[in-house]
Amino acid sequence: MKKYVRLLAICLGITVMAAGCGNSGQAQKTSGNQAAQGQAEDSTGSQAAEDEADGGNQDADNTGGEEATLNIAYQYGLAYAPLSIVKEQELIEKAYEEATGNKVTVTWNQMSSGADINTGISAGSIDAGFMGVGPAVTGVMKGVGYKIFTNLSGQEHGIMTNDDRIQSFEDLIGSSNQIALVNIGSFQHILLAMALENAGYDPHALDSNIVAMAHPDGMAALESGNVSCHLTSSPYIFKEREEGNLHEIMDVAEAWGVDGSFIVGVASERMHDNNPELYQVLCDAIAEAVDFMNNSPEEAAKITCEFDGNSEEDELAYIQKSKYTIETKGLFELASFMARTEFIEEAPGSYEDLVFENVKGD
Amino acid sequence: MEDKKRWAHTLAARVIFVAAFLGLWEYVAKSGMMGEKSELIFPSLEVIGGALVKNFVQGYAGMSLWVYIGNSMRLLLEGLLIGIILAFLLSGLSMVSRVFYDICNLVISVFDLLPGVALLPVVIIIFGVKPGVIVFLVIHAVLWPMARNVLDGFLAVPRIYIEAGQNMGLKGASLLWGVYIPAATSYIVSGLKVGWARAWRGLISAEMIFGVASCPGIGLFINQMRTNMNNAEMYATLVVIIIIGLVVQYGVLSPIEKCTVKKWGMSR
Repeated sequence: MKKYVRLLAICLGITVMAAGCGNSGQAQKTSGNQAAQGQAEDSTGSQAAEDEADGGNQDADNTGGEEATLNIAYQYGLAYAPLSIVKEQELIEKAYEEATGNKVTVTWNQMSSGADINTGISAGSIDAGFMGVGPAVTGVMKGVGYKIFTNLSGQEHGIMTNDDRIQSFEDLIGSSNQIALVNIGSFQHILLAMALENAGYDPHALDSNIVAMAHPDGMAALESGNVSCHLTSSPYIFKEREEGNLHEIMDVAEAWGVDGSFIVGVASERMHDNNPELYQVLCDAIAEAVDFMNNSPEEAAKITCEFDGNSEEDELAYIQKSKYTIETKGLFELASFMARTEFIEEAPGSYEDLVFENVKGD
Repeated sequence: MEDKKRWAHTLAARVIFVAAFLGLWEYVAKSGMMGEKSELIFPSLEVIGGALVKNFVQGYAGMSLWVYIGNSMRLLLEGLLIGIILAFLLSGLSMVSRVFYDICNLVISVFDLLPGVALLPVVIIIFGVKPGVIVFLVIHAVLWPMARNVLDGFLAVPRIYIEAGQNMGLKGASLLWGVYIPAATSYIVSGLKVGWARAWRGLISAEMIFGVASCPGIGLFINQMRTNMNNAEMYATLVVIIIIGLVVQYGVLSPIEKCTVKKWGMSR
């Protein structure tokens, strides 16, 4: 009997200790933060989101402190190019010091999916993130605690096939042809549904033809003939269009052009409410970087080509084919479509439900 | 009597541990320790319980979780079976031929180090895009640890057993079947345990990265729940994974162990 009592005591002890950890994490604001940051800088990706427990929680709370911190999560690729500018030129750090006289420590975390970023923001370890409109709308409607604070870029999307017999959706529906795209429920999947609806079919008619693979894997699978179609975004779509033995089914490219919102920035309501200066600086920094991309694409390409793994000429060409703007386009329409076709459970009431007050667009 | 007492001890220790863990979970969930979005990212037990029911009743994309489990289990069993047979084949042949043993040893050491999902691009290029890819990754997960265990077991068979077998006129396959396999059973069983766990994990991680929508499995279900921020449903799916793992552990592997190595006095 004594044994059980001891065991119970140990379990209780662990419980109390764990609870204690939680509290002390809250108490030691700054030191906890530093630790979390050190870790985040080392990690390349999703680890930061998993570090949700102790350190991260309080980032946006220390408004009055001398030194503010900002944890930003972004993803990989051309669509995120303005962020490389913000990061390299330290636009946020400079502007914040100018505006308030205080320093800000910005931590950039490269993560692999919008879902990871959503978890990070709801756990409080990330203050701002950049992701496709799909996960962003999902996050807003699920009450993750953020809203969209800026548009970042629009890109070209399209569906390519290596099979001459496939000319339209008609040839795909009911067939066993496989369509590679980045993830089920991703922006590319939503575009497929939208294009199908525009063409007069059931938006989910091709769902069972989808295979989820990362963009480069999908391109390799298309080229080697392992899938018959690949629905992808720039720059992969540009590379595939240049290949003679592939042709495009136009419906997807027509459903959502380069002007439509693709990647947006989201900011936690915590930061927006508690540190409006930092929020404003963040918005301005993105706007400045977007202007820079548009006004001097040559210089921008020099900075970003290395991160994207392209040659400088290719990078410049890709940048010029992309659209970088801070105004959203088609966001509300897309969110309504997502609700109507059951990609999300709840429909947004208005555009203002999705974005902060400073965002322009529709 | 002694046995019964021991069993009661084990049960009591486990029940107390699980209850304490669940209590801790509930406490963390209810106290809002995980910040203001605690409810969303760290749901309480009753929410997860509700989600568990919802997974089976409503599911995702019009299919109950049963369908996903069925798909996963089918691929898993296929891979597990082929993997185990191949493991025996490799280690059996290694015992017969020295050259084969040298090569096999190297191959096992090399491939055991490679995570299956890292091979995914190569596998897609070679095998194409079909559920077979998942089967391949399950085979990859189970084959090498299993082959390593079986091989070690064969090597540990005392010389004297083998010579006794040879004196009785056994050789080649009959020696393998008559002496090596029974003598190495405890290694084989531990290989099965490791192989099963690796296969189960390999299956789910492969499904999370590479989703064939025409044959959706548990990994894809988890990924979908994550994408849609349905965290309670995601945790509930993890619970299902644990339950399946426990059922296999205590319903299949433990009885095998009891009927062989424990009965024969090879392990306690």
